[in-house]
Amino acid sequence: MSEAKVLEIKDLHKSFKSGFLGKKIKILKGISLEVKQGEIFGYLGPNGAGKTSTLKCILGLIFPDKGRINIFGFDHLSTKAKQKIGFLPENPYFYDYLTASEFLNFYNQLFQKQKTENIDDLLKLVGIEKSGNTQLRKFSKGMLQRLALAQTLLNDPELVLLDEPLGGLDPIGRKEIRDIILKLKQKGKTVFLSSHILQDIEMICDRVAVLVNGEVINQGRLEDLVSQEILFTEMTVSQINPRELEKFGKTLTQYGNRSLIKIYDPDKVQEILQIIDEKKGKVHSLVPRTQTLEDIFVGMVKQK
Amino acid sequence: MGLKLITDQIPREKVPGASIIYIPSGKYLKYASFGYSTLLADLVYIWSIQYFSNTSVPERFQYLTHVYSIISELDPQYLDPYQVGALIAIYDAREFDTAMEILSQGLKKNPEQWIFPWQAGHYAQMILKDYELAKKYYKKAMEIPGAPPITKRLYSNAIYELGDYETAWKNWLEIYKNTDDERVKKIASNHLYRTKAAMDIQKIKHALKKYKDKFGQFPEKLDSLVSQGFLDGIPQDLDGQDYVYDRETGEITTAVIPWKR
Amino acid sequence: MKIRAVAFNTFKEAIRDRVLYLLLFFAAASLIFSRILALLTVGDKTKIIMDAGLASISLFGVLMAILMGTGLVYKEIDKKTVYTLLSKPINRLQFLLGKFFGLMTTLFIMLGVMSLIFIIILLLHSGQITWKFFVSIAFIYLELGLITSVALLFSCFSTPILSSIFSLSFYLIGHLSWGIETLIKKMKPGVTKFLTQVVYTLLPDLENFNFKTEVVHNLPIPPKIFLFSFFYGIIYTFFILVLSMLVFRRRDFI
Repeated sequence: MSEAKVLEIKDLHKSFKSGFLGKKIKILKGISLEVKQGEIFGYLGPNGAGKTSTLKCILGLIFPDKGRINIFGFDHLSTKAKQKIGFLPENPYFYDYLTASEFLNFYNQLFQKQKTENIDDLLKLVGIEKSGNTQLRKFSKGMLQRLALAQTLLNDPELVLLDEPLGGLDPIGRKEIRDIILKLKQKGKTVFLSSHILQDIEMICDRVAVLVNGEVINQGRLEDLVSQEILFTEMTVSQINPRELEKFGKTLTQYGNRSLIKIYDPDKVQEILQIIDEKKGKVHSLVPRTQTLEDIFVGMVKQK
Repeated sequence: MGLKLITDQIPREKVPGASIIYIPSGKYLKYASFGYSTLLADLVYIWSIQYFSNTSVPERFQYLTHVYSIISELDPQYLDPYQVGALIAIYDAREFDTAMEILSQGLKKNPEQWIFPWQAGHYAQMILKDYELAKKYYKKAMEIPGAPPITKRLYSNAIYELGDYETAWKNWLEIYKNTDDERVKKIASNHLYRTKAAMDIQKIKHALKKYKDKFGQFPEKLDSLVSQGFLDGIPQDLDGQDYVYDRETGEITTAVIPWKR
Repeated sequence: MKIRAVAFNTFKEAIRDRVLYLLLFFAAASLIFSRILALLTVGDKTKIIMDAGLASISLFGVLMAILMGTGLVYKEIDKKTVYTLLSKPINRLQFLLGKFFGLMTTLFIMLGVMSLIFIIILLLHSGQITWKFFVSIAFIYLELGLITSVALLFSCFSTPILSSIFSLSFYLIGHLSWGIETLIKKMKPGVTKFLTQVVYTLLPDLENFNFKTEVVHNLPIPPKIFLFSFFYGIIYTFFILVLSMLVFRRRDFI
């Protein structure tokens, strides 16, 4: 069951006409990907790669030149498909003149089955339960973002599509949203998360696809893409003469009486710890650095 | 601010009536009104009343027909302007033909409105004293259903004034017979009296003339006319009274004034 | 029903829009002004109140239809509210119809309010209300429906300013239909004449819906005109809505 394909995109092409002369610019050059049931799928790429365009194709907001998109096996434009999805756009904006409750009620009526009792719970879930009767023109950006998430979850969707959901939020907000996404996974939902912020993807995604210039250049489990090898270890120590540490690794910086050392050989880490212990030095931090998504990403982009 | 005060004080040459020169014909105006032609008619009408009562424009009546034909084109069934236009034409502009033109336009567009020929007849009678014209218009008015009974009376009176006593008599007789109203009957009978008197007097005077031609002077008594064979008999007025004969002038008059019977 | 949901939302948007009330205020003002105008006329004073009243209702109704209609779809696209809306299980036709009926409901209420003011002013002036007045208002409403659908059509692909200009031109040309017909008769045959004939046939004759004169002069309205104008209006509106749908169906929201 967990192998069921929730979202399947096959050979998606899309081009736009630009300017007076109508030059055709290809935005999506044959995208294929699969999202499996119950996973958090990351869609990663620099700005302008075509992430939002892909999402718009999935939602039927723009029409592809070629290719197929299926949601739960149904054609992506069908009502059956739309019943099961929720979409959170980048920079959401809603009707000024409605209150939060009115807005959610309105969208609620667009579904086949209506669940009105959820509105208050939803507001509580996203943290704006006190603003149910406030007009949306008075909402701050953060509040709008939370409301947007609420409308995404109105129909208890099986597949949730998020476009840059953590943009513009403060660190607490970001944590809250991340927690909500993880909770969705716990409930057995599938999440498709599009972002250019690598840390977000790294933290919560199971599988990713990397989109550069309209093409998916890599796709797979995060662990598979990112080697677990430790590249180097960074250590901050004090009360030790830096020259004594130099044979183990490079001293990066010194501030005050603290030194930051970069050790490439993992075996040397144990040695250095012993010496510090003997000399009564202090270890302030010890951070093994593995290959991050950023490294891979930059590498992939550079290749292109 | 100061500049505005100065500008206000500079006397501006206002050519009164200049604005009217460029008003197009009514037909085009109707197209330009996009379905609001009746409102436009009202506005032009209101404007026209103000315009034509502005005595500082001496030649304002030049455009009287034009303006009222515009109103007519815009809203042919708007009745007030025809009457008011004719009124202005008669009393202010003293142009009878213009008034008639306006009223006939009104009748053309609203054939069921007896008031237009009625008004025309009235003006013909009162202002021009042209009974031929008055008769024509009264007849027209009479033929429209809904015309008041007085129309026929005015018509018959006009005929009388024109000297066609036989027809006048016939008409007045009809009026007399066809009414139950006592007042109308009295009026009709007075007119009948007058008409008969006119006819009789005409006959008598005709005989008197023949007598005078033959004998060089008027007879002493009217009986002489009968004995000499110029008259078949001395007619009497409607009430059976004799007419009064003045030997000196040869005039015949009624013994009483018709309206005081 | 989904159309009703969108309609209700559109109605809420309109009813909370200050522009609407501004127009209503001016309509009321002009209705009252007609009473003052009546003082200047010689003769029948009720006529001018009726003329000005009906003209105001008609004119401001049209302005409302155009001003609100041209923003119907454009605003949703411009403000991107259409993204989340169309990602729900609602198709584009339902969306368009919802917008249309939402505005028609608003216009219905506005017409009602203006008519009420008119009736009060007229009765205060001891005028009379005939059933013809209500017929005339009904046909004004029908005409507004047509104009709204045109505004909606333009709203699907054009900015509010351009859409307003086009819709207003449509309205004005619609009332000039008679003039165009005369023009065609006088033209020499050729391309221009042909084009003008095409324009004449395509654009509706909005005078079909104009019964103001009949109301003011209390003239009879032949039943044939009723039915003909009514169906003409309904069918033409339907035709424009279909056109809007065709334009909107495969539109990319970049």
